[in-house]
This record gives sequence, C-alpha cells and structure tokens, in this order.
Amino acid sequence: MANEILFFMEVVVGGLLAGTMYSLVALGFVLIFKASATFNFSQGAMVFFSVLAFCGFMQDFNIPFVLAFILAAFLMVLVGLCTERLVLRPLMNASEDTVLMATIGLGYVLEGLAQAAWGVEVRRLDLGIGDFPVPWIADNLKLFISALDITAGLVAALMIIGLFLLFKYTKIGLGLRAVADDAGAASSIGIPLKHIMLLVWSAAGVVALVAGCMWGARAGVQFALVDLALKALPVLIIGGFSSIPGAIIGGLIIGATEKVLEVYIGPFFGGAIEGWAPYVLAIFFLLYRPEGLFGEKIIRRV
Amino acid sequence: MTNSSTNILDIKNIEVMYDNVILALHDVSLKVPKGKVVALLGANGAGKSTTLKSVSTMLASERGKVTKGSIDYDGNSIEKQTPSQMVGLGMVQVLEGRRCFGHLTVEENIISGAYSRKLSKGEINQELEKIYAYFLRLKERRKSQAAFTSGGEQQMIAVARAMMAKPKMLLLDEPTMGLAPQLVAEIFKIVKELNQKEGVSILLAEQNTNIALKNSDYGYIIETGKVMLEGTAESLLNDEKVKELYLGISKKGRKNFRDVLKEESLSKRIK
Repeated sequence: MANEILFFMEVVVGGLLAGTMYSLVALGFVLIFKASATFNFSQGAMVFFSVLAFCGFMQDFNIPFVLAFILAAFLMVLVGLCTERLVLRPLMNASEDTVLMATIGLGYVLEGLAQAAWGVEVRRLDLGIGDFPVPWIADNLKLFISALDITAGLVAALMIIGLFLLFKYTKIGLGLRAVADDAGAASSIGIPLKHIMLLVWSAAGVVALVAGCMWGARAGVQFALVDLALKALPVLIIGGFSSIPGAIIGGLIIGATEKVLEVYIGPFFGGAIEGWAPYVLAIFFLLYRPEGLFGEKIIRRV
Repeated sequence: MTNSSTNILDIKNIEVMYDNVILALHDVSLKVPKGKVVALLGANGAGKSTTLKSVSTMLASERGKVTKGSIDYDGNSIEKQTPSQMVGLGMVQVLEGRRCFGHLTVEENIISGAYSRKLSKGEINQELEKIYAYFLRLKERRKSQAAFTSGGEQQMIAVARAMMAKPKMLLLDEPTMGLAPQLVAEIFKIVKELNQKEGVSILLAEQNTNIALKNSDYGYIIETGKVMLEGTAESLLNDEKVKELYLGISKKGRKNFRDVLKEESLSKRIK
C-alpha cells in the first residue's frame, strides 16, 4: 500500500514538474496576448529558432555556454525589434485577425531562417543536467524524480518571480499593464505602444529561449519543437490566455493530469493517452469555463 | 479671439474621413485662447469626439484622417505628430467613457499619466500630492482597484491621470456622461479649478449644454460635422435658438428638437 502511495506521489510530482515545462512555453504566449490581444502562432517557431541559434553558437562557433546564451538572448531581442518594426508597426491599425495571420507568416519565416542558418539535423543540447532521477531524492524520499524536471521547475519559478517584479514595480511594467487593460487609453496619456510591443516581444523571445533549452535538453533540438506551441494551447485554455499565474497553474494541471491519466487509465486505452488527454481536459474547460481559471471573461477565437 | 498668438489651438476648416469613405466632419473651425475653457456642444454623432481626436491625433488608430484644413497647436502644425508626441508637447485627451485601467489601482492609474515624463520616485510622489489636493476623494481610494470605483471616481481618475502628464491643454470628451447631477457639478468645479490654478487651457465636448456653457468662456455648437453657431458662453446661453434646441426652454414652454423640426417644415410648406 505504502508503495502504491509513493508511486502515485512520484507520478504526480513528476507530472507537476514536467508541467512547468509547458508553463514556460505558455508564458511566452501570455506575454504577447496581454499586450496585443493576439495569439502568437509564431511562438513555437521562436522556441525552435532561439534554441537552435543557441546550439549553433556553441557547437559551430565554439562559443562558451554562458556567452552563447547571452548572444541567443540578444538575438531574440533583435527578432523582437524586427517584428515590431517590420510586422506590428505597419499593422498597427489592422484588425486583430490580420495580426494573427501575420504571426503565422512570421512563424514560417523564423523556421526557414533557423534551418537556413543552422542546418536541419537534430542537435543534442547538453545543459550538464541529466534527465535521470536525482540519487539524493531517490534515497531519502523514495521518489524517482528527474533532475531536468526539478531544474525546469526552478527556472519556471524564477521566471515568474522575475516577470512579476518587472510588471509590478517598474515603469515599463506599469506601461505594459496599462496597455493590456486599454491600449487606446494608454496611448492617450503618452505611453508609446511601440516600446511596450518591443519589450513584450523581446521578453517572449527570451522566455522562448529558456523553454527551448529545457525541451531541447530533453527531446533534442529539432523541428518538432515548433509543435510545442500546440501543447501550450490546452495549458492556455485552462489557465486563461491573459494570465501569467494562469499559464503556470495551467501547465501544472496539464502536466499532473496527463501523467496520472497515462499511468492509471492509459492501459485501458492501450497507452499513450498523454498525447490527447490534455485536449479532452481543455474541451471540458471550453464547455464549462471558457475564460479559463484566471483569464478575463472575454474570450476570442484564435 | 482674433489675435492668433494668444490661441493655443487653432483649427481651420478641417474635414475628417473614416476609412476613406465616411465623412465625419465637413467643415469645422475653432479656436481655443490660452488659459480659457471652450465648450464644443452638439448631439450624439455631431462630430465632437472626432474633432477632439483630430487634435490629439488619435484619429489614426481609428482609421480616420484629416483630409482638408489645418490644425495648429501652440503655433505649430500637428500634422506629423503621434499621440505620444502630442502628450510630450502638453496636449492630453481624456477619452470619452473615462477608460480607466481597470486592473490597476487608483494610484497606479494616476501615476501612469506621468509615463511620458522623466521623473524620480520622489518627484512622482510630489506630483501625486499636488493632484490629490484637487481630487480628495481619490486619495482615500488610492489602493482600490480602479474597476471597482464608481463612475464619478473613474472620471476623476481619468482627469487626474491626464493632469499627471503636466498638460498645457486638456481635451475633455463628455466628462459628465452618465453621472448624477451632484457629481456633474463636482467634476466641473474641479475642471474650473484646474483651469484657474494650473492655467490649463481646456476644450470640452459636452452634451450637457447648460452646465458646460456656465463653466466655459466660449462655445461652439456643431451639428452633422459643421459648426452651426459660436459665441461667448453668455451669449449662447441667452440665444433663443440654443435655448429652444439645446436647453429645452422657450417662450412657449418646454419643447424638443422634433417639435422644432416639425414647425420648420410646416412653415416651409406654407411658404
């Protein structure tokens, strides 16, 4: 009996930590959705682009780890800058649907650029953190939990705290919250929308890089990372599109539920229900609480 | 009203189109002398908001464009300016419907108005205290979330927020919309004080003709995108047509717009 409880705990904790990896991806979406009320279809491509560039810097140019990370982060700020200048500014007065379509196009451009610059083969990303159970926890708590999952959890927590402080206590954070509430009113009191857009897209780019590192270390840096965006969708539906805590909680819920369902109910379906169980959960949310747990009560189609 | 150097705002014969097809203003000219309060009066859809947005250059974000005429602010054309540049030049619009940032606290709302100014924390607090002196009610509610304050308080937040930008000129779009008479009076008292003590010039769009004229120096009445009548506030208040059409007072007793139209068409037929 005790063993079964321990096993359940292990499944849940493992799921929660894996869920933070979804949260990291979802976080990028939330940032952009808050400021421009647009679902950024290129977020998955940004994850792929950023981490591939990071690997490229390290492996093709032999740039040390930390420097390569900083370079990749700068690259993402540059991508944010170009996006604001070349895509968002010309579409300033266009409808949200137009911007949505533009993000799809942007996604293809980023995918293409990344592969043109760094090649198409799968790269291995070694963060120096193994994807195997931590011996200390295994010995003392009898739980088998991956070091990578724990790191992802810590990194996610740090990102949240960082973003929270940025939004709550800085001038530009105040500007961002104002724009998120009412962009027209914000511009009427002189908050320059383009600075806010630049900030948000750069932040989303850096978040994408962090998420990409975590996922790249687990699954290899490859084109499939682009589809991570799809995994973030149920997270966002559950957490709410415009809420940062929502992205985190949504990720945790998805992570834990999919693992528990996989282990306990999966065998009845012949296994591998992880892939679609989150979407079923998302459908229930769409039926009974379409704004998500923390979202504002306005939902729009994406 | 004649010497152009004393006018902070000078609008000359502007025509405004939305989406390149909808003609919102045909021909509007108006002047706001430095340090004065000018009322822009008219019914719904007359073009009051459009006029204000042409001045604050917020038209572009609604796919509107000034297609003819010119607007000079403080002696310079505003043609190439963006809304945030206009705020930098001291022209701030308080949008119709208050438009507070609902998720921010009252104080955060007000502070956000200083975004365009480079102020230290201490300076912001000084400015805040100055603003709170006009809006005592807001100081009590500074920590509340703006969405949960009353309509009157939200209007005060919107004006206080605009004042934090240290404007030379305020554009107020229907500040008393949907407010109880007592609050209407309170808002106008504050507006008047800001005008007199801070020297802010004010262009005020209102439907509430009576109280707007009582608190203004000069007034313009626009209908379907054209200036129909202008004059000092006093002369407009005593004007027979204004009394009949906008104040609902006439020699024959109360009367509404429809009756006047009926009478006019009748008299035309007789002719």
